[in-house]
Amino acid sequence: MKRLLIAAFLAAVIPAHAQFDIGRALDFGKKALDTSKKLQEANREYSNEEEVALGDGITSGFLGAAPLHRSENLQRYVNRVGRWLAMHTERPDLPWTFGVLDTDTINAFAMPGGTVLVSHGLVKRLQSESELAGVLAHEIAHVVKRHQLAAIQSSAGSDAWSGVGKELAMQRAGRGGDVMGLKSQLASAGVDLVKNGFFLKPLDRSMEYEADRLGVVIAARGGYDPYGLVAVLTMLSQVKADDSGPSILFSTHPGPGDRISELEKFVPNVLERYASQPQVEQRFRQMVSGR
Amino acid sequence: MRRMGLLRLALVFVTFLCPAAGAQEQAFTNRSTELRDRAAADGRTLATLPENTAVKVIARGGGWTQVEAQSQKGWVRVFHLRFPSTVEAAPSSGGGLGSLTSALGFGRQTAKSSTVATTGIRGLTPEDFANASPDPEALRRLQSWRSDRPGAERFAKEAKLAAQQVDYSEARR
Repeated sequence: MKRLLIAAFLAAVIPAHAQFDIGRALDFGKKALDTSKKLQEANREYSNEEEVALGDGITSGFLGAAPLHRSENLQRYVNRVGRWLAMHTERPDLPWTFGVLDTDTINAFAMPGGTVLVSHGLVKRLQSESELAGVLAHEIAHVVKRHQLAAIQSSAGSDAWSGVGKELAMQRAGRGGDVMGLKSQLASAGVDLVKNGFFLKPLDRSMEYEADRLGVVIAARGGYDPYGLVAVLTMLSQVKADDSGPSILFSTHPGPGDRISELEKFVPNVLERYASQPQVEQRFRQMVSGR
Repeated sequence: MRRMGLLRLALVFVTFLCPAAGAQEQAFTNRSTELRDRAAADGRTLATLPENTAVKVIARGGGWTQVEAQSQKGWVRVFHLRFPSTVEAAPSSGGGLGSLTSALGFGRQTAKSSTVATTGIRGLTPEDFANASPDPEALRRLQSWRSDRPGAERFAKEAKLAAQQVDYSEARR
């Protein structure tokens, strides 16, 4: 049970940052479904408000382990880029929140409800605002398509969600109707997700590729050179894996090279048509490193 | 504490800035492709580079990369290049959150398969997460940095970013 639980937790959280094996998660979800009717409660659509409450819980738990970068200027800068991009999506009115984590690793995460976190290690390897836009647009696409929620719901049979399920059931039955109670259940479920491990799980490739494609479109909508994401993937393909010790984890995720090929295959027109849009290098350099 | 911070900063400097500032990047053509005199499909063809031609990267710009190949400088489509893994990953090792990889697919492709290797995060281990207490104060701080619409619009205008209508259908499979 414990293993299942952990797997469910992982399944639920990882999609937040993408590389996540939905197939496996669905498998777990399916087993759970077979054994628990409770799932039905958790499988209904989340309102934006509920999604935000869950995302806040995840973010709060996450920030307990990963500190925010101290530069308020940098944080506000990333928020402006992100908000500008998110305004041009189908979910412009979520409480979009962007943050830079004070860690050297290369990473980015999207939480349900519109919170996107990028590591400082990634930001400082970028060359322009259009590359940052590519990263943020990819994460924004995960939120717009509710990829995280899909995976969380697939894990909903776990104990962690029974509280949420009960609240939802009570609301549906017209008993209770305790919105605050539900929100706090969601927030604490989010915290639990984080506490129970933020590990690598392959994300369904199709979700990753979709977020890449939509990310290119979103960056182009925002007036950026959409090749920014391609440049970031190229940079990632050059990063030497750290092959020491347990930090390594080999898995079956699409590599940056595959993702670049997918973009070449599926969005060449968007890339070409908007390639002459600004990359905004100077402002980026000033904001990120004072260069 | 302060000393630690400085030390860390120094480490970051050494590890990250040097590769960026230093050495010429090398890349290889991943197919037979044209070396053009400018970054455009209608640029004049200077040479046709066979697959696996080694090139030196001079500059990048959108869909085109400026390279030196066969003693000539010119531009090649970015999609027509592959880059070997040369950039050191974060100066960490053994960070248990090693498993935590990027939404961006951080890692590299090995020659054998599409397997990717991932790197750990300094100071972020599974234990850190397991033991982490939720930090509502940090959440509040994070949320205080949000941008509103008018702020984002002004910001975009400053950089002459013009919003475009682009349909997702253009990015559908």
